[in-house]
Amino acid sequence: MNPTFVTYLEQFLGYPATNLMAAVFFLVAVSILVGVMATIGGLGTYAERKISADIQARIGPNRVGPFGLLQMLADGVKMILKEDIIPSKADKLIFILAPMMAMFGVFATLAVLPFSSGLTLTDLNIGVFYVLGVGSFVGVAIFLGGYASNSKWSMLGGMRGASQIISYEIPVTLSILVAVTMAGGLSFSTLVEAQTGLPHGWYLFHNPFSFIAFFVLFIGALAETNRAPFDLPEAESELVSGYHTEYTGMRFGFFALAEYVEVFVVCGIAAALFLGGYKVPFDLGNGEVLSNALMNIPFLKMVVPMTNGTPIFKLLGSGLGQLLQLGSFFTKTLALYYVVIWIRWTLPRLRVDTLMTLCWKYLTPIALFNLLGAATWMVVFHGKSIYQIIFESGAAQAVGGH
Amino acid sequence: MSLFWYLSVSFVLFFCGIAVMIARKNIIAILLGIELILNAAALNFAAYTRFLNQNLDGHIMSLFIIIIAAAEAAVGLAIVIRFYQIRESIHIDDATQLQH
Amino acid sequence: MFDKLLFFSSFLLTISGAAMVLGSKDLVRACIALLACLFGVAGLYATLNADFLAATQLVVYAGGVVILMLFAIMLTGGSNNAVNRFGINKVPSMGDGKTLAFGILSGAVATLTIFKITKNVFIDYNLQEIPGYSSTVEQIGQLLVTNHVLAFEISSILLLGALIGAAVIARPRKS
Repeated sequence: MNPTFVTYLEQFLGYPATNLMAAVFFLVAVSILVGVMATIGGLGTYAERKISADIQARIGPNRVGPFGLLQMLADGVKMILKEDIIPSKADKLIFILAPMMAMFGVFATLAVLPFSSGLTLTDLNIGVFYVLGVGSFVGVAIFLGGYASNSKWSMLGGMRGASQIISYEIPVTLSILVAVTMAGGLSFSTLVEAQTGLPHGWYLFHNPFSFIAFFVLFIGALAETNRAPFDLPEAESELVSGYHTEYTGMRFGFFALAEYVEVFVVCGIAAALFLGGYKVPFDLGNGEVLSNALMNIPFLKMVVPMTNGTPIFKLLGSGLGQLLQLGSFFTKTLALYYVVIWIRWTLPRLRVDTLMTLCWKYLTPIALFNLLGAATWMVVFHGKSIYQIIFESGAAQAVGGH
Repeated sequence: MSLFWYLSVSFVLFFCGIAVMIARKNIIAILLGIELILNAAALNFAAYTRFLNQNLDGHIMSLFIIIIAAAEAAVGLAIVIRFYQIRESIHIDDATQLQH
Repeated sequence: MFDKLLFFSSFLLTISGAAMVLGSKDLVRACIALLACLFGVAGLYATLNADFLAATQLVVYAGGVVILMLFAIMLTGGSNNAVNRFGINKVPSMGDGKTLAFGILSGAVATLTIFKITKNVFIDYNLQEIPGYSSTVEQIGQLLVTNHVLAFEISSILLLGALIGAAVIARPRKS
């Protein structure tokens, strides 16, 4: 079996979970995660407004709650209360199905997203591949949403969205393969554990090819999530609102939420593959260092009875380590999220032909060349990073020189 | 779950594929039927690998079937689009040029 | 228990998807039914300890083939004239009762023939003890570059040929 969240909990709490308890644990973890991610998606809209306001020298939402933080709740209430219109000429079944499919595709990828070494719902041994497979449901959903609305704007938006998503899947997959080649595994735990907490061990700085691969992945991810400057499927100046023109109320909310959560997921994957994921500097994440340090604090020694106190310290250290890992992952992911929003409000939109030119004439050859280069690097330098090569040659000179 | 269940799924897929291929007159719908048949074959390979012998040659075979299905879909749909450009129809009965 | 749950939901999805491909009169809905069916097959692969195959199925079909099919439907969906160029009435493009009956009959004949041929294999094999789950990714990777390297290379040539061929065939020409 793959290591899951439940197996980690068993280790953490120290006694084996029965079948039913494992199921209950799993359900609770899944519902908490989905809730948290939906909140993050909602906060994404808030962040988008605030950052865009900042860039355009406005104030942004500031009426609902402190700093306008509760704006997303107001938006959610508005969306639920709005009339849910299905156009009379629409294909009803597909019209209803499309937003659900988008939500399904995005939230299914959360199953393997490595939030921390413990809080990964399930560590599939085909993790990245699974994400690629399930994530492609979003493309189908956008296409079907455009088709089912029976409107010219929606149709054009849907066609654009689907063609864009399947085109940019190629450079993205090739760039992900660079990281997979270097780590030698498809599961996220393999990919993340092969890196270190400090930047010199990240795959971003491993070799020049992986450095380029990260940027190709990031650009491709922008296009795959339909974010500006690639937001042609919903280009509001040409296509009213693209594939969700005819959607109202909560169905539109599903599409919007799916988009924001997908941006988070994609940023998380980029962070896990190239920016060290949940790794914390100086091995603070695995908890042993922390529990040892806690045991050596004299004040705590006096307070906690030492007769049976060691497991408590271990538990505490392990928990703190997980929290640090969560913090590391969320810091990197949200930093990338900020860059995504920043790009949206800074760059103008591409044309359709330039979009396809960028994908097929630039990104795909670059990604292919990168994959070849990274594989060659792994063979020629025996998998050492640039840092290791410089450091070791320097050390060799220092020892063997004068 | 035994081998029987998987083989029955595969039989149903095969049956539906053949029936779709014969019943439809739309070239794309016929391609849908072909996909069903190829999937039935690939599922059989994976099922026999699991229940009969655990060497993974069956999985490799399924992989190649999936690859061939993808290539076939790409070329088939390209032909459909080209045919539509010439005849403005994707009805299989309009593809009669070779008969004469 | 989870295995059984996964199996039966995938089973239902596959069977109902295939039946809807057969029964649906609308081409786009047939395509979505095909997607559901293929997703169910991916679930069946997952219960068969074929994790890599399941993910490949999702990537290739959900991300590639079905979107390609939908694209082709959108690009060719225009004309629906009921007579061919000789003025003879055509069978409707999604078939009518007669073609459906023929299809089901011929499907039944073909399926029963194959069942007759493979009956011995189907029933007589006594199944051995099934081992537990293990990862197949590494083994498949090794097999692909050792025992099956020729097939691997030939399939890459096939894909390259399909890529170039599809692009050349579908390119619009002025005439």
